Amino acid sequence: MRRSLVTAAALVSGLLVLLDLLVVNPSLGEAAGALNELLVLLVAAAAVGGGATLVAHHLRALASGGDDPIGSIVLLVGMAAIVVAGLRPGSSGSSDPVVLWLVAALLAPLAASLFALLFLFLLRAVRRGFALRFRETAVMAAAAAMVIVLLLPIGGQAGEWLTATAGWVRAVPLGGVFRGLLIGVGVMVAISAARSLLTLDRDDE
Amino acid sequence: MPNLGELMANLISALTNAVGSSSMRLGAAPTVGILLVLLVLLSLLARPLARWSAADLGQLTRIGRAMALSAESGADATVSLGTAGVVRAASATDRFQTLGSLPLLGHVAEAAARAGVPLSVTTNDPVAALFAEATLAGAHRRTATPERASASTVEYIGEGRALAAAAALAGARSHGLAMVAGGLAEEGLLLLDGVLGDAEWSVAGTASAGQAAGPLLNGDGSLIGPELLQAGGEVSASGSARAVVLAANRLIWTVIGVLLIGSLVAWAGGPQVAAFLAGR
Repeated sequence: MRRSLVTAAALVSGLLVLLDLLVVNPSLGEAAGALNELLVLLVAAAAVGGGATLVAHHLRALASGGDDPIGSIVLLVGMAAIVVAGLRPGSSGSSDPVVLWLVAALLAPLAASLFALLFLFLLRAVRRGFALRFRETAVMAAAAAMVIVLLLPIGGQAGEWLTATAGWVRAVPLGGVFRGLLIGVGVMVAISAARSLLTLDRDDE
Repeated sequence: MPNLGELMANLISALTNAVGSSSMRLGAAPTVGILLVLLVLLSLLARPLARWSAADLGQLTRIGRAMALSAESGADATVSLGTAGVVRAASATDRFQTLGSLPLLGHVAEAAARAGVPLSVTTNDPVAALFAEATLAGAHRRTATPERASASTVEYIGEGRALAAAAALAGARSHGLAMVAGGLAEEGLLLLDGVLGDAEWSVAGTASAGQAAGPLLNGDGSLIGPELLQAGGEVSASGSARAVVLAANRLIWTVIGVLLIGSLVAWAGGPQVAAFLAGR
């Protein structure tokens, strides 16, 4: 397809959605809704295609004696289990008890175990950070240590002072940094969105 | 038989009816504000007024050398587009980071194509995988290296943030160059550690404010907050991309100015500027 056609389609679609954001008009709303429905169709098709590609990738890896046959087998068996549980005759789909059990008894604990590793990986990351850039990591570690001290479960007057200080740190310095980052991100998102809307890339330079 | 005059009359009537049946969704001031921002953007995009000297955000200039070293040592390169995807159930800002990281992917892909280094891209969103495939194809087209396109692969690893982190940890190995760019959440540190691991050179970037520490600690080069989106303009040599960065800087200063003036006005007992701008 000619590049100008793609550019025109992106520009018209973007302007239509932008106009629908600004103006309440039934016809405009229907046109933007139709675009959204097309997007949903695209996503559904891409999801099915992505899943099929994933299966094909691991089947190929098994057939060619790839590096991790056990991983491929586990993935394929897991996918098959969920698909069979959700699509077997009489199943109620994603709310089927078997699917819910698979999620609650297998997926959720696995994910929780994975996230439990975060503490260890944080320590490793800090060590790596000290090796790569001492100054920034030292500031970060000092700030983290200060927050830990402020959040210590201590009672009495000292505890109240620590709690109040922790609240102030969260609301003022941390809140200020977060707002600054988010304002910057918001501005850059607007710039990048305009760039995407106008389909500007290096080919245009 | 209708003549040209009747056709024009019908067209004007249809347009008039469409305008008459419409109303402002956000009110006058916010609508004018949005259009004004767009106007400023368009004017700056079309006609850059000053020269922009870009900083080396995330030390991206070292990617070419890292790729050359990878080619010499026979190592490969890998890129992860974060865990937010494009159409996943994540916040709009997180998902936009995936789009913002595509120019960086294109930059890495061009360097890999020139050096003949195999590049693998992983994502947990099928639509992002489609975008990544198009980006890699574009890089091989621009560098006139179609014979090396088969060495560049995009892999959809399945749905889920935890899955992305688990896949990264399970498949961790040494790379010549590794990059993670895009939206991250709690799993960010696991993903970064798995993908970047023992890479000879690594770049990590996210605009997710809560995950800023991960790229700082794990990547040799870091893109934090707006830098991830700004870097897309930095990697281009000249022209409109620099104008985008210039426009961003001007808008940032404008926002800071509005915030300061608005705060002073509110402090002095004047009208609430924020309420006016937000249309409340």
